[in-house]
Amino acid sequence: MNSFYFAWRSLFRQPVRAALAIAGVAAIGALLFDMLLLSQGMLISFRDLLDDVGFDIRIMATASTPISGPRMADAAATAAAVEALPEIDAVVPMRIGQARIVGPDSVNLTLIGSVTSSRDAWTVVEGVDLDAIVGSDHPPLVINRNVAEELALVPGATVTVRSECSERYSVLPTVDFVVSGIAEFPFDPVDQMTAAVAMPDFDRACGSVMDEADVFLVASRAGEYPEMAVKAITRLRPDLHAYSNAQLVDRFQQVGFSYFRQISTVLATITLFFAFLLISALLTVSVNQRFAEIAALRALGFSRRRIATDLLWESILMVGTGGLLALPLGLALATWLDRILKAMPGLPGDLHFFVLHPAAVATYVALLSTAGVLAAAYPVFLASRLPMASTLRNEVVG
Amino acid sequence: MRRPFALLLTAFIALGTAALASFQPTAEPTSSDVTDILVSRQLLESQDLAVGDLIDLAADPTGARARAFRIVGSYEPLPDPARFTQQRLEVRLHLQDMVDMLADPADPQSGESVSAINVALHDPEREREFRRSVFGQVPGLSVWSTQRGDSANPFVVLEQFHLAIAIVTILASTAFLLALMVMRSEERRETAGILRLIGLGKRRVLTQVLIEGVIIATVGAAFGIALALVAQSGFNQFFQWRYDTALVFVRVSPKVAAQCVALAVPLGVIASVVASWTLLRREVLALLRR
Repeated sequence: MNSFYFAWRSLFRQPVRAALAIAGVAAIGALLFDMLLLSQGMLISFRDLLDDVGFDIRIMATASTPISGPRMADAAATAAAVEALPEIDAVVPMRIGQARIVGPDSVNLTLIGSVTSSRDAWTVVEGVDLDAIVGSDHPPLVINRNVAEELALVPGATVTVRSECSERYSVLPTVDFVVSGIAEFPFDPVDQMTAAVAMPDFDRACGSVMDEADVFLVASRAGEYPEMAVKAITRLRPDLHAYSNAQLVDRFQQVGFSYFRQISTVLATITLFFAFLLISALLTVSVNQRFAEIAALRALGFSRRRIATDLLWESILMVGTGGLLALPLGLALATWLDRILKAMPGLPGDLHFFVLHPAAVATYVALLSTAGVLAAAYPVFLASRLPMASTLRNEVVG
Repeated sequence: MRRPFALLLTAFIALGTAALASFQPTAEPTSSDVTDILVSRQLLESQDLAVGDLIDLAADPTGARARAFRIVGSYEPLPDPARFTQQRLEVRLHLQDMVDMLADPADPQSGESVSAINVALHDPEREREFRRSVFGQVPGLSVWSTQRGDSANPFVVLEQFHLAIAIVTILASTAFLLALMVMRSEERRETAGILRLIGLGKRRVLTQVLIEGVIIATVGAAFGIALALVAQSGFNQFFQWRYDTALVFVRVSPKVAAQCVALAVPLGVIASVVASWTLLRREVLALLRR
C-alpha cells in the first residue's frame, strides 16, 4: 500500500471527523481566498473601468480629483493645443455640475457638459446621441436610466433644467432640453441621477460662457504609450496635471479605499495563522491517538521516513480537499460580500471589490499549501521520533 | 429634550479649507491687521510650523491676494471615518476672515455668502416641512439631511461586511471545534466505558461532559477576549500610524465582548455534548472495545 492510499485510509477511517476537518478548511480557505480577491479587486476593477471608457489620459488643473479642485481656464484653446500633439488622438473637455429637473416631479442630478465628438464618455442605449439632434427647438440632453425611470422620460420628451453651476450665488433661469437618448455612464453610482449636454448648452444653462473644464479626457494615438503622451502634455503645459490610467490607478491605490487592502492583508494573515493552528491541532491530536498504531507500524518495518510521508499525505489530503472546495465556496461568498460592500454610497455601479484573477488563485494555492506543510511539521516530528519499544509497552501492553 | 439635527444647505462647510488655500510661512507681518488662526497638528508637522509663526494664506493657488495670519495654536482634527485616508492639512479661521479671503471682487454678493449653513431643528421630525419651507422661500437652495438611511450609511455597510466575515469565521471555527471534540471524545472512550461500567448513568456522564464543556468554553472565550484586547491595541496603533489619525479602528466594547461570550460558550458546550453523545449512546462493552 503506497503512502497516498495509506493516508487516505487513515483520514477517512473516521469519516465524521474527516468531513468536519475538511469543512473547516473549506470555510477558512474560502475566507482566505476572498481576502486575496479583495486585496487587488478594487484596483483591477477600477483599472478595467478606466480602460473601458476609451480614454487613457486625464488632465486636471490640480492633483485633486475632478469637481473638488479648481477648473482649467481657456478650455477650448488648451484642448486644441493638446490635440495638436503628435502623441494625441482625441481630447474631450468636460464640465461637471449640479442641476435640478424642475416640474411636478423634480430630481437633483449631476449635469455633465462635454464637447461632442466621435468619442463620448457614455454609451447611448436608447434613442440617439447629442450630435444626432438637429433643428430642434430645444437643445438635446442624454439622461441615465435612473432619471428616465424616476421621471418616466423617453427620448423625445422635454424637460426643464435649472442649473446650480453658478458661483455667483444667484438662482439661474431654467432652460428647456429635449431628451435625445438614454445612456449608460460608466462611473455612475447605482442610484445616481445623471444627464449630459453639449458644452455650449452647459454654458447656457449656467448663464455664461466660461470656457472652463473640470477634466480633459484624452485618448493617445494608437501605438503610443500613454506615459509618453503624458510627458508630452506636461512639456506643453507644465501647470496642468496629466495622468495615464496606470498613474491614476497608482494614486487610487495610495488613497482610495486603501483601508480594504489593509484590512484584507490583516484578515488574510489571521486566517492563515488560524488555519495553520487548527490543522496542526487536528493532526497532532490525531497522531497522539495513534501512538500505538504508529509504534506497531514501526515494529512491522515501516521506516521513519515512511511514517512522515504518510502523515504529510494526510495533511495534503485534508488541506487539498478543503482547499479545492474553498474555491467555489469562496466565489459564492465573494459575490455575497461584494453585494454588501457595493451598498456604499457614491461608488460606480460597475466597480467591484472582489475580482477573480489568476494571481489571487496562485497566491491562495501557495499560502494554503505552505500552511498545510507547516501544520504537518510538528505531528510528523512527534511520530518520527516516537520510541518504538516504550510506546508499544505503554500503549499496547499497558 | 432638544436633539441637534443638522441640515446642510450646500455640500461644503466653512471649515477644512486647506484644499482650496495655498499658504507659505512669512517672516514679517504683511499688514497691521494680522488675525489669528489654528492649524491642524498634521499641517503643523508637515510644514515645520510652530505656534506664533506668521503665515500667508491665499485662496488662489498662485498666492495672489494673500493675507497674513498668526498661528495661535494647533488642534487634532475631529476623527472622521469618511476621511481617514486623507491627510488632514487644515486650518480654522474666523468665518468673516474666510469670507473676505474667498470673496470675488467682481461679485459684491460673494462677500456676503457662505457655502453652507448647519441648522439644528427643534423638532427633527419636521425635517420635510422645513425643507419645503426653505424651497418655497429661497428657490435654488439645496437642502440635505445629515441623517441618512441605513442603506446609504458607509459605516452600516462596513458593519454588515464585518458581520459577514465574523459569520464565516464562526462557521469555520465550529467545524474545527466539532472535529476536535469528536477526537477528544474518542480519546476518552474507554474512560467513559469504565464510568458506565461502575454504575454511572448516561445522564451522569453527560452532565460531567456538560460541565467540562462549560468550563472549557468559558475559559476559551475569556482567552479570546483577552487576545482581542491585546490585538486591539496593536491594530489601532498600526492604523493610526498608517493614516496619521486619532480614529479608533477597533474597540472591544462590553457589548462586543458579551456577544462573543454569548456565541462562544453555547457553541463550545453544544459541540462538547454532541460529540460525547455520539459516543455515550453506544453499548458499554462497545465503549470498552469488547
